[in-house]
Amino acid sequence: MIECIDLKKTYKHGHEVKHVLKGINFSIKKGEKVALLGRNGAGKTTLIKLIGGVEMPTSGKVVRKMSVSWPLGFGGGFQGSLTGYDNARFIARIYGHEYGELRSFVEDFSELGRQLRMPVKTYSSGMRARLAFALSLAIEFDCYLIDEVILVGDQNFQRKCYHELFEKRSDRALLLASHSLPQVESYCSDAIIINDGRAERYSDLREAEDIYSRL
Amino acid sequence: MASLSKGWRIQVRVINALMIRELATRFGRENIGFLWIMAEPLMFASGVALMWHFMKGTEEHGVGVVAFTISGYIPLVLFRHAVGRSIVLFTANGSLMHHRQIKILDFVLVRFLLEFLGHMMAYLFIAVALLPFDLFPVPADLGMLLLGWIYYSFFTLAFCFLLAPLSEMSEIMEKIVPVATYLMIPFSGAFNMMSWLSPGVQEVLWYSPPVHAMEMMRAGLFGEAVQTTYDFFYPVAFSAIITVIGLALCRKVRKNLVVE
Repeated sequence: MIECIDLKKTYKHGHEVKHVLKGINFSIKKGEKVALLGRNGAGKTTLIKLIGGVEMPTSGKVVRKMSVSWPLGFGGGFQGSLTGYDNARFIARIYGHEYGELRSFVEDFSELGRQLRMPVKTYSSGMRARLAFALSLAIEFDCYLIDEVILVGDQNFQRKCYHELFEKRSDRALLLASHSLPQVESYCSDAIIINDGRAERYSDLREAEDIYSRL
Repeated sequence: MASLSKGWRIQVRVINALMIRELATRFGRENIGFLWIMAEPLMFASGVALMWHFMKGTEEHGVGVVAFTISGYIPLVLFRHAVGRSIVLFTANGSLMHHRQIKILDFVLVRFLLEFLGHMMAYLFIAVALLPFDLFPVPADLGMLLLGWIYYSFFTLAFCFLLAPLSEMSEIMEKIVPVATYLMIPFSGAFNMMSWLSPGVQEVLWYSPPVHAMEMMRAGLFGEAVQTTYDFFYPVAFSAIITVIGLALCRKVRKNLVVE
């Protein structure tokens, strides 16, 4: 289980103060697939960063009682000047995984072929998404944090993700930030809507979508 | 206990991975690769030693000019390089915060360790190379030489811990650190022994921790040939206080660190 307890996050820049999250409370249990909806700038990415431990909350806390992936998003997690293989080697080292095994999974899942020998900064966003998913699936987490990034993949990639996440790993939890309602419907059973720094959870996806589209 | 040893294992794994990554990004795999970490201080020290050799002759105050310069210069550049490398280091490595097992202190430790290894290797290399030509002495007291190194390194690490968060908090730091580390040279003990100076100057320099470390190194290296003054307690206490302040600031900076 992951529990968010009264999470608040404030960003300061000079005299500007922005209260992004104003007290978020919810939990995600093992196996739950939850969508994270909200308008641009509502704080979806911020919330995912806090749950993933990338940034620290201004107050409140995140309790993680299962293993949580790093946030799979557009940036982050990679060193652009290193090759795909070097990044994979680095991930294998810090998560204590056997590199050979990880490497063959990454080659197989990402289908990036010789591109893996190129620096990651030369990758398109779709290619980065492939690499990020391949690595995080190889490490095996109980909960995956996904920030929109599935959307950039092509059909073939989306089908593969679906297969790996839902058919082979249906017991895993998922928090998916997305603007695509069809995607939310095919991946998730619950939804959390962030609006004005607060989060509301809906177990009825229809109702959530209805409210979301009126924001 | 079990979780403590597990934490330690993760820590070692992370430091190891970060060191390899840092070496790969900084030096690449072309030509001599990671050996550059040693080549840089090596070139610095031998260049300066050569210059001094021609400017001042072979001996000054009864010790060889080349050995004296090298023994002073390498620790000094260690300090300057290590501190320089710790500036805005958290922002530069921000994307690694995606992996929770990596802590910001690891970045400081890794960069310091690499500089430390590089400068130690350069020191050893140069000493061994110059030994047969009688330009570098066999250390009179190896233990004292190493202790001096440890004191100097602790002082350096303490300032890395302090300046890494300070440079994130204020942009002015980035501008003044290079100047400050240069102006620090007279207080580093690198180019003169305490015993060569007037009592008034000695009294002031006594408050500079690296002077003690440098005197220890010189005592270990030249033995009876030089007269040295140092204190065991003061430099450690000084560095420990700086470290504590630095760690507290690191904690504060981590809390507000924004990662793209």
